[in-house]
Amino acid sequence: MLKNGFKAVAIIILALLLHKAAFAAEVIELPPEELAQESVLPVFDKPVSVKNRNVVTNKRIEADIFYGYAMTEPIANVSKLGLGIYYNTSESSAWGLLLAKNFAGLSSYADQLDEQFNLKFDRAPSPELTAMLDYNLKAFYGKMSLSKSLVINTILFGSASAGIVKYVHKTYPAVAVGLGQKFYFTKNWSLRFDLRLYANQAPVPFLAGHLKPAEPVPDYSDFEERVTFTTNLDVGLSYLF
Amino acid sequence: MKKLLLLLIASSLVVPLASSAQRKTKPRARSTAPLYNSNTREATLKNQLSNALRMAQGGQYEAAANNLFTLSRRSELAAERPQIKYILGTMLMELKLNQTAAFQFVDVIRTKHPKYSKLAIEKLSIVADTLGDDTILNYAISRVDLNDFPSNLRDMINYRLGEIKLRNREFRQSAELFGKVSFGSSYYFQALYNKGLAELEENQPSLAIGTFNKMLDARRKAPVTDTNKVAAQMGLARALYQKQDWEASIEAYAQVPRDTLMWHDAVFEQSWAMLRAARFRSALSNFQTLHSAYYEDFYMPESLLLRAIVYLYICKYDEMEKVLSLFEKTYGPVRAKIGDFLKSTNEASAFYAEIEKAHYMKTTDKSSNLRLPYIVLRNVLDQGDVKRSMHYLDKLNQEKARVESNPAFRASPLGQYALKILANRGKNTKFAVGDMVKAHLLNMRVELRDLYEQAGFIRYEMITGRKESIKKKISGKDIEQIDENIDRQFYIQNGYEYYPFQGEYWLDEVGNYHYLGKQSCE
Repeated sequence: MLKNGFKAVAIIILALLLHKAAFAAEVIELPPEELAQESVLPVFDKPVSVKNRNVVTNKRIEADIFYGYAMTEPIANVSKLGLGIYYNTSESSAWGLLLAKNFAGLSSYADQLDEQFNLKFDRAPSPELTAMLDYNLKAFYGKMSLSKSLVINTILFGSASAGIVKYVHKTYPAVAVGLGQKFYFTKNWSLRFDLRLYANQAPVPFLAGHLKPAEPVPDYSDFEERVTFTTNLDVGLSYLF
Repeated sequence: MKKLLLLLIASSLVVPLASSAQRKTKPRARSTAPLYNSNTREATLKNQLSNALRMAQGGQYEAAANNLFTLSRRSELAAERPQIKYILGTMLMELKLNQTAAFQFVDVIRTKHPKYSKLAIEKLSIVADTLGDDTILNYAISRVDLNDFPSNLRDMINYRLGEIKLRNREFRQSAELFGKVSFGSSYYFQALYNKGLAELEENQPSLAIGTFNKMLDARRKAPVTDTNKVAAQMGLARALYQKQDWEASIEAYAQVPRDTLMWHDAVFEQSWAMLRAARFRSALSNFQTLHSAYYEDFYMPESLLLRAIVYLYICKYDEMEKVLSLFEKTYGPVRAKIGDFLKSTNEASAFYAEIEKAHYMKTTDKSSNLRLPYIVLRNVLDQGDVKRSMHYLDKLNQEKARVESNPAFRASPLGQYALKILANRGKNTKFAVGDMVKAHLLNMRVELRDLYEQAGFIRYEMITGRKESIKKKISGKDIEQIDENIDRQFYIQNGYEYYPFQGEYWLDEVGNYHYLGKQSCE
């Protein structure tokens, strides 16, 4: 009942928003010969795709706060919160530092395993902190029009990072590669999305004979270690100073 | 062409040997020693000539050219000199030393040899075309009786003479000469274009429209960006403008493809046609493109004044003020710097040095320390005469590099001779370019003075208009300034999407801007 009520409110709000965009105040008549007929580009001595760009990043600092979601993490808590600070050395490159603190507790999957099989994965070591030096290669600066009055600029970039992942008992070196996209809704503020694949040495949480309540509590050093790959999606808010 | 060359060399081999054979019978009666020595020397030279010609025939162009060059300087072979020089020229052409070859052909033309002069003119026309140097060819044409020219060169001669007449402002004769160039000729389309120009200069736009349409028709199957096709389209648009058929002219300008160099001029000239057709909104759309950051290197003072005039027509005095201020801010320093530079030097070499630096900037990503504004020099670089001469200089440099890349050839007398010719031609061309630059700068100074005067008149009109507008405001007759409402929504017809301009310019949007304001006059 309540769910349907929310749905109705959402539809009404959406209709009101669309109503504003759909009914124009004025109709402009443009002669056909003035409308775009060619998809080719004009010839210039030194062609550049954009001039007088709205978002100028060169030699500027950018800071962001983000939420990270470990998409392939089975046991530890999949969430983390982080801070990043970048310096844009040019319009195509940026260097930054990332620091992310993992949430405590276990993933919902680990909770399920506990409910069904009485497995206590909180005995396994979990990640606490990630610190990375990140390089961004800004490949494309673009823009997109979301409505007749809203245009946002975008930057698509590739990232490569190296740093550490700290577990409760030990710190491991880590590397990551990824792709990211920033959506600038003002000249300073943007939404930042980063999809990264982390590779680092990490303890394997599955240790036979030590995870049930009746079994002896293992030492952290009992857990086997191996290279682990984790896909991570970060969503953050970024400010360009 | 190659077959003809071989045939010529083969025939040349026969001539000296035959003449030598004929002479062998005569000296029998003479038995004095000096004569014997002379005959021996002559026979040796003839042998050398035969050898050189055999080398030429065998494709040993470099060796043949070196030998022929030495022989061409021997007084004993004065009678054979036109022939030797002609073949030397063809060898040099094979070696892609066109400027050095041109000198050989000019020498042959000067001798007025019944056979080789005509052949040399034909060859000279080819090297002149390759080098892009009309002066050599025009010189040659002026030296020879036009009736002596072979029929296959008539088109070229008519074209070149047409050019000379056009330069001398003899438009009717010029159009007639261009009209004589036949369809199959490589000069045909250039001749047709110049014919249209001459007709426009003669104030016969209807004839010119016919000529440009004929050219367009002949290039119908050519690619969209074909230079001749685009030039014809541009010529047609200009002819229609001159005929005061504004709407047709606007349409013709719109047909100039965006991915061609002429498009920028088309947009500007179309704005004039739009103003004359009272399509103010359309003209202002074009100015959004022309005054975008993409054109910051373009010298376009007139376009700013034209924009101010359009604003005057629609009573946008604040916008007018901005545009006039921009004109003064941009072209005031330009005018001052041109004046200072012209006062500071009279040396052609100084003018050339500036244009060379600008050329370097234009063709590379590097900057240079210029005394004149880059927009001025860029504009001068785009002038036909300067462009042609810079292209010619480039060809000379390529030829010089070709000589220098071959140490053996460079050290030979012919190599040294070629380098000397190239150095002299280069030096003279640089001086000529310097003079051209100076002439263009003087014209620009005069033009800017006139435009400043016009800007003053426009400003006066703006003040008058403003006064009237204030009067209306006081009396309550003022109408709403629609542009002030920046949040309003628009609907564009024909299903096109619309989004507002936010200050940045994108290459794929240049030419697609639309001014959506309305006039503020009562």
